[in-house]
Amino acid sequence: MVRRVWREDFRIIGYYTGLVTIGVGLLMLVPMVTSLVFREWASALDFAISAALTLLVGYVLALVSHTKNTPGLTHAMVIAAGSWLVAMVLSGVPYLLSGHAASFLDACFDTMSGYTTTGLFLLQDLDHISQGLNMWRHLLTYVGGQGIVVLALTFLIGSTGGAFKIMVGEGKEEKLEPNVRHIAILIWRISLIYLGVGTVVLGVIAMANGIKPYLALFHGAYIFMSAWSTGGFAPYSQNMLYYHSSAMEIASMVFFILGSFNFALHYAVWSGNRREILRNVEIVSFTITVLTTFSLVCLALMQRGVYPNAVALFRRGFFQLISGHTTTGQSNIYAQTFVLEWGPLGMLATTIAMAIGASAASTGGGFKGLRMGIIVKGIATDIRKLLSPERAVVTGHYHHLHDNILSDGVVKGAAVIVVLYVLIYVVGAVVGMAYGYPMVNALFESVSAGSNTGLSCGITQASMPTLLKIVYILEMWMGRLEFLSVFTMFGFIATSFRSMRLRKVVA
Amino acid sequence: MKRLCVVLTIMALAALIVVPVSANAEQPPVLSTNELVENSYKWDGETVSFKGEVLQDLMVRTDGTWMNLSDGNNTAMGVFVPKDVTMPAILRTEDYRTVGDVVLITGVFHRVCVQHEGETDIHATSVTIVTPGSTKSNPIHLDRVVLFVALVGLLVLVLWLYYRKPTDRTRH
Repeated sequence: MVRRVWREDFRIIGYYTGLVTIGVGLLMLVPMVTSLVFREWASALDFAISAALTLLVGYVLALVSHTKNTPGLTHAMVIAAGSWLVAMVLSGVPYLLSGHAASFLDACFDTMSGYTTTGLFLLQDLDHISQGLNMWRHLLTYVGGQGIVVLALTFLIGSTGGAFKIMVGEGKEEKLEPNVRHIAILIWRISLIYLGVGTVVLGVIAMANGIKPYLALFHGAYIFMSAWSTGGFAPYSQNMLYYHSSAMEIASMVFFILGSFNFALHYAVWSGNRREILRNVEIVSFTITVLTTFSLVCLALMQRGVYPNAVALFRRGFFQLISGHTTTGQSNIYAQTFVLEWGPLGMLATTIAMAIGASAASTGGGFKGLRMGIIVKGIATDIRKLLSPERAVVTGHYHHLHDNILSDGVVKGAAVIVVLYVLIYVVGAVVGMAYGYPMVNALFESVSAGSNTGLSCGITQASMPTLLKIVYILEMWMGRLEFLSVFTMFGFIATSFRSMRLRKVVA
Repeated sequence: MKRLCVVLTIMALAALIVVPVSANAEQPPVLSTNELVENSYKWDGETVSFKGEVLQDLMVRTDGTWMNLSDGNNTAMGVFVPKDVTMPAILRTEDYRTVGDVVLITGVFHRVCVQHEGETDIHATSVTIVTPGSTKSNPIHLDRVVLFVALVGLLVLVLWLYYRKPTDRTRH
C-alpha cells in the first residue's frame, strides 16, 4: 500500500531542495570571480545575475517550506532527483545569458551533461567563450562528480537524520564513516587534495608545452576537473587534440582512471589498506573488461590499417578506449573519425566499454564494475551449483573492501540495475534510429549519454532533433542517479495527484 | 623568314616561361576542418590550404610551433609549423576580448601523422596573415544591470525574512 502525501512532505522536500539550490547559487560566485580576474565584465555580470536569481529561488524555497522535520527515505530520493533538475535549470542561466546557447533547452542539456559528468555539449562557438564560462562548465562537472547533494551536505545541511539517505539517492551509497557530514567532508578532502596536485601537474605540463604561464594553471585545473570527475569537457572544441601533447594525455589518463575508482577504495588505500587494490572485485572486473575491449579495438584498427605503427595505435586507440571505459569522454581524435575510420567493430567495442563503465560510488557512470563482477560471479556460482552434488552447499563470494557472501538478493539487485541501464541505452538508440541515424551510431551516442561518458560520433549537435535532446537529458539524469531516486520522484508525483483527488472526494 | 624564326623563338621561350609559372602558381584547394576530416583518406599526404583564426595558444616546441586554427562553429585544425618555415609575427590570438589573426596556411595534410603519433594535422610550408586580429567589444547591457539590481533587492528582502529570529519565522 502506498502512503498518502501530506503538505509536510512537500515542506521537507522544498526546504532541502532550497538548501541545495543555495549551494548552487554560492558556487556561481567562483566563475564570477574568474571573470572579474580576467576583466570579462559582461560575463561577470551574467554570473552575478545568475547567482542572485539562484540564491533567490533557493532562499524562497527554504523560507516558504521551512521545517524542522528530517527527511525520510521517500523525501530523500525525491530531494536528490529534484535537486538535480532545479540545479540543471538554474545553472543554465549563465549559458543562455552568454549568447553561446542556441536555446534554453541546449543550455539545460549542457548543464545536465556537466553535472552528470557526461561531457556532451551543444554550446555554440566554444572556442570563443569567456574564462568565467569555461570555469563554470568545468566546475559543474567537478561538483557533479562528487555530487551536488554531497556539496550541500558539507556546508549547509549538516548531519540530519535523513542526510545519508539523500546521499544514497545521489548514488553515493558507501558509508565510509558513521557521521554523514564526515563522509561528505572526506569525499571533498580527497577530491580537493587531488585537485591541488592535479592542477599543478597538468599546469606544469601545459606550461612546458608552450601555453602561457598564467593560463597554464587554468588549463591544468580545467583538465584535472574534467578528468577526475570523469567528465570529458575541455576548454576548446578540439578537446585533448588542442594540446598536441602525449604528456598531457597520459597525466589526464592517470587522473581519470583514479577518478573512476570507488571512493571507498580510495579511502581504504588512504587508510593503509593497499592490498585492496589487488583484491577488489571492481579492479579485477575493470582490468578484464579493459583488456577484452582494447583487444577488440586493436583488432578493428589493425584490420582496417587505421594507424601506421603501434605507438600511434596505442596513443589513440587506448586513450579513446580507456576514456570511454572510465566514462570520461576526453578525446584525442575527431568525432567523425569514429564513424569513418574506426568502423563498426571499433565503435561497438568502445560502446561496450562505455556501457560497462566505471566503479560504483565513483564519479563515473555505466553498469559499474562491481555489478559486472557480482553478476559474473553469480553466474559462475550457479554453474558450480549445477555441477556439484545435490546435497552440497555452494556459496559464492566476492571481495569488495571485505569478503562478502554472494546472496541471490545481491545478484538480483545488480541485475535489475543493469537491465534498467540496457533499457535506457536501447530507448535512446531507437529514438536516434527513428530520426534516421545508423544503428551503430545511434547506439554509440545513446550509450555515451546514458553511461555519462560523453564521447560523440557526431550526432550531438545543436541542430539535432529536440526530442533526441530531451531523451539524452533524461538518459544522463537517470544514468547518473542510478534510477532509484528518479523512479521514486515519479511515484511521489503520481501519489501526490492521487492524494489530491482523495482529499477532494472527502471534501 | 629570319624575323619569323626570331618571333617564333621568342614566343616559344615566353610559353616555356609562362606555362610552368602558371602551373606552380595554382593555389592548393582551401579546405575546411570538416572537409578534411570527412575525406581524410582522399586528402592524406596532399598539399592543401587552410584558413582560420589563431586560437589562444601558440605552442613553441623544439622542432617547431603548434597552432590551432578555428574555421567555424566548434571546428578547428591543428597546424604544425616546422622550425625551417618562416612564420609571420602573429600579434593577436583569440581570447574573450580579442579576435585572433586570421591566417592562410599551405601545407601537407596528414590523416594520421607518423611524426606526431597518429595525430590528424597539417604540416605548414607557408603561413600568411590574411586579416589582422582586432579587439572585440563585449558591451554591458543596461537592461541586465537593471535586472541584477532588481534581483539583489529581492534577495536582500528574502534574506532578511529568512534570517529573522527563528521565533518570528516559525510563528506562521
